[in-house]
Amino acid sequence: MATINANISVTSTIPESGFSLNKTMTMTKAGNTTGIENTNGLSVKKLSATTAVVLELAADATASGANKLYIRNTGSNKAEHVKISFNASASTDTTDEAIGRLYGGDWMLIPWEADGTTHNIVAAPSTADEVTTIEYMTFHE
Amino acid sequence: MATIATLSITSNDLLPSSPLSINATSTLMKADTSVDLHMMESGAGELTVAASNGGVVLKEATTAGINTAAKVYLSNKATDPTYYIQIKLHDIIVGRLYAGDWMFMPWSQGDVVAEISIEAEGGTCPYEYAIFKEGETMVART
Repeated sequence: MATINANISVTSTIPESGFSLNKTMTMTKAGNTTGIENTNGLSVKKLSATTAVVLELAADATASGANKLYIRNTGSNKAEHVKISFNASASTDTTDEAIGRLYGGDWMLIPWEADGTTHNIVAAPSTADEVTTIEYMTFHE
Repeated sequence: MATIATLSITSNDLLPSSPLSINATSTLMKADTSVDLHMMESGAGELTVAASNGGVVLKEATTAGINTAAKVYLSNKATDPTYYIQIKLHDIIVGRLYAGDWMFMPWSQGDVVAEISIEAEGGTCPYEYAIFKEGETMVART
């Protein structure tokens, strides 16, 4: 078993009094305290078209487990984004399973249902005028 | 009104060849701009299995939120490792937050039915959340 720690820190001055949170989790398998020990590794994909692409296949992970998904748009352009969705394939990216948009510098770490029929991870850049670079990694059972 | 979100993922034994260290920092801004997100809400509660049977809405999507750059933080503060919170975007299951887990997710609200719902499984799950956003259609008084 492996020990994987993930820490989030958020500070905000939206409220005048300020806001902060700091939380660390150790990634464990569903229903017990055994550490997650599988990954497809840290990957990088450079996208130069707006065509949707599949980043990870849900079939590689255990459905309904404690899987985690990390993605970062490594760019700095806040005017462009990459849309992240769950979909059966890249060709179905127009359906309504969109999770959200990662603008330049944005990152996400979410649990991943990894249902093999619908939960492949799909990314679609908003622009073809520049290369969109995505860094991603899954941690799964 | 800057909001800065920082992530660190580390492991010394996941990869056989080398330690893993991922670091990321983002300043949260409105969609398609370099203007800071300017709205947030946060809260905490206890989610019981019975009361959340079938899922309860953590946050409704609204017209003003469509195609925005909102971010959602949610943490399951339960300690029993068999307890989890199932997260959904409308009918789509995002995943399970087991005891001690947290998530930080973009939420672009593709339409007004892209609400976030949560459901406790196994036992009562204390939770806390924060949503950083740029727009929301307010509910008219009755």
